[in-house]
Amino acid sequence: MSAGLDVHGFTVVSNEPVADGLMRIVLRAPELAAALAPGQFVNIHVPGDASQVLRIPLSFSCADAEAGTVEIVYAVVGDGTRRLSEMAAGETSTAVGPCGNPWPSVAGARRACVVAGGVGVTPIVACARMLAASGVAFDAVVGAQTAGRLWGTDVLEGLGAGAVAVTTDDGTAGRRGFTTDALADLLAAGDYDVVYTCGPEVMMAGVARLCREAGVACRVSMERMMCCGFGACGTCNVAMADGTYKSCCKDGPVFDAEEVAW
Amino acid sequence: MGEKNLVEKGVSMAVDLGGVRMQNPVNTASGTFAFGSVFEDFFDVSRLGAITLKGCSAEPWSGNPAPRMCEVPSGMMNTVGLANPGVVGMVEQYGEYLAGLEGRGCRVIVQAAGHSVEEYVAAVELIEELCPWASGVEMNISCPNIARGGVLVGGTPESAAEVVRAVRPRVHRPLLVKMAPVRVPEIARACEAEGADALSLINTINGMSIDVRTRRSRLSKPTGGVSGPAIHAIAVRMVWEAAQAVKIPINGMGGIATWRDAAEMILAGATSVTVGTANFYDPTCAADIVDGLASWAAEQGVTDINELIGAFEC
Repeated sequence: MSAGLDVHGFTVVSNEPVADGLMRIVLRAPELAAALAPGQFVNIHVPGDASQVLRIPLSFSCADAEAGTVEIVYAVVGDGTRRLSEMAAGETSTAVGPCGNPWPSVAGARRACVVAGGVGVTPIVACARMLAASGVAFDAVVGAQTAGRLWGTDVLEGLGAGAVAVTTDDGTAGRRGFTTDALADLLAAGDYDVVYTCGPEVMMAGVARLCREAGVACRVSMERMMCCGFGACGTCNVAMADGTYKSCCKDGPVFDAEEVAW
Repeated sequence: MGEKNLVEKGVSMAVDLGGVRMQNPVNTASGTFAFGSVFEDFFDVSRLGAITLKGCSAEPWSGNPAPRMCEVPSGMMNTVGLANPGVVGMVEQYGEYLAGLEGRGCRVIVQAAGHSVEEYVAAVELIEELCPWASGVEMNISCPNIARGGVLVGGTPESAAEVVRAVRPRVHRPLLVKMAPVRVPEIARACEAEGADALSLINTINGMSIDVRTRRSRLSKPTGGVSGPAIHAIAVRMVWEAAQAVKIPINGMGGIATWRDAAEMILAGATSVTVGTANFYDPTCAADIVDGLASWAAEQGVTDINELIGAFEC
């Protein structure tokens, strides 16, 4: 399993809204920050409600080993994330991690495109940091329901993205439509070696189809309901194209799009 | 080998679960601890009295579609569907680790899964052949019987007895029976009469959770097994009932997350205490419970944990 897998204590450094329904929490957890690689995730205990026993699995956008911090941009969708959004600076809890496997670097890749939908932008920002650090040029597509729910375009620009295409369902920012509309244009013009994507499953299926048609490798980060995050519970199965199941936490969350049964 | 942790905090912690000689009473529940190795990242697994492996069938099973779990108040539900690599696959991947774990003093209990008497027999025959290192075999008879319209294999004293009778002569080491949480005293007596060495209870309790907006199950199947602290009080009652009904030892489980939960089970009559769902969210808790039980026993003024088994006072 992941090097450094453990139950890590953390202290909340900050926790504030960054868009409608999206929060950014920064955790001080030096060992965890040093162990995490882009694409992995952590499983967080939110204290305060004994009736919610399970942890919340969350991707991160930045693990800063020097600062000893982990940044997580998360959507407030249920009781657990609502309670997480109420954690204040200075409060402490624990996170299990690193969980799962990192985004793979694609050998010889010179140019990539990253495609994010909704809160899927979180591991995509981590991916962009990895690409920037290894000198791979990249473009980005970021989709959201509305302008108010967008986050991350400035971060991606700051990381050196060549183009950042924005799409919204209602046209309040960027192009009205879906990330796949913008990706189709970029694929037609670009010469990508690989596309990395995270977002709603229906969106990733569309991205995978476009990449297959264009003959470009595609890596997807899947999401599943799960308990443990480290291969013990067997609940986070992802159906594969060959009829088998793989584990989202142990074998993923990043898969080759061609492996997955869309 | 195998004798460490026998005395902790001045208390002898070793227990005998129907011939499975454990260095302390703490075990882990099938399906919550994988095949043990992944927990070595969190703590030294050999500190536990035993681990019970994920149930294995003669052939690999792929299990149910996603979603296989959902959260419910104070617990969770699952419909994993006994996904497993088969006995052969399990031995190939984990046999060496598990033989080593036995050598380090922690007993390994292999769980056999099946949907029919024939499938149970096939599974235990493979286990007997391929798992010489295992200290015990646990039969999970709380599965739906496919051949009989999905009724529980072990849902009646007669059907439980039928399975135990078929496998008993083929298992040449301690045989545990993991019971369904129904008709506990009768089924416990039926299993004992057919030669079970110990009883494991309770399994998950069948439940249902509906998303009221979509009107669909929150799982990929209409129902699933409820586990976690939500079922603990029911489990303590059933362990107590079983302990009154039979003379063979009880392996008690159901919502154990702390040493207090484990101590309750021991007082109700459990010889060993098995941690399940809590392994998912508190992966070191089984080891913590070993320490907590020893402190509790010392505080209770005993020098042997066995003095507290069934020591509940009405």
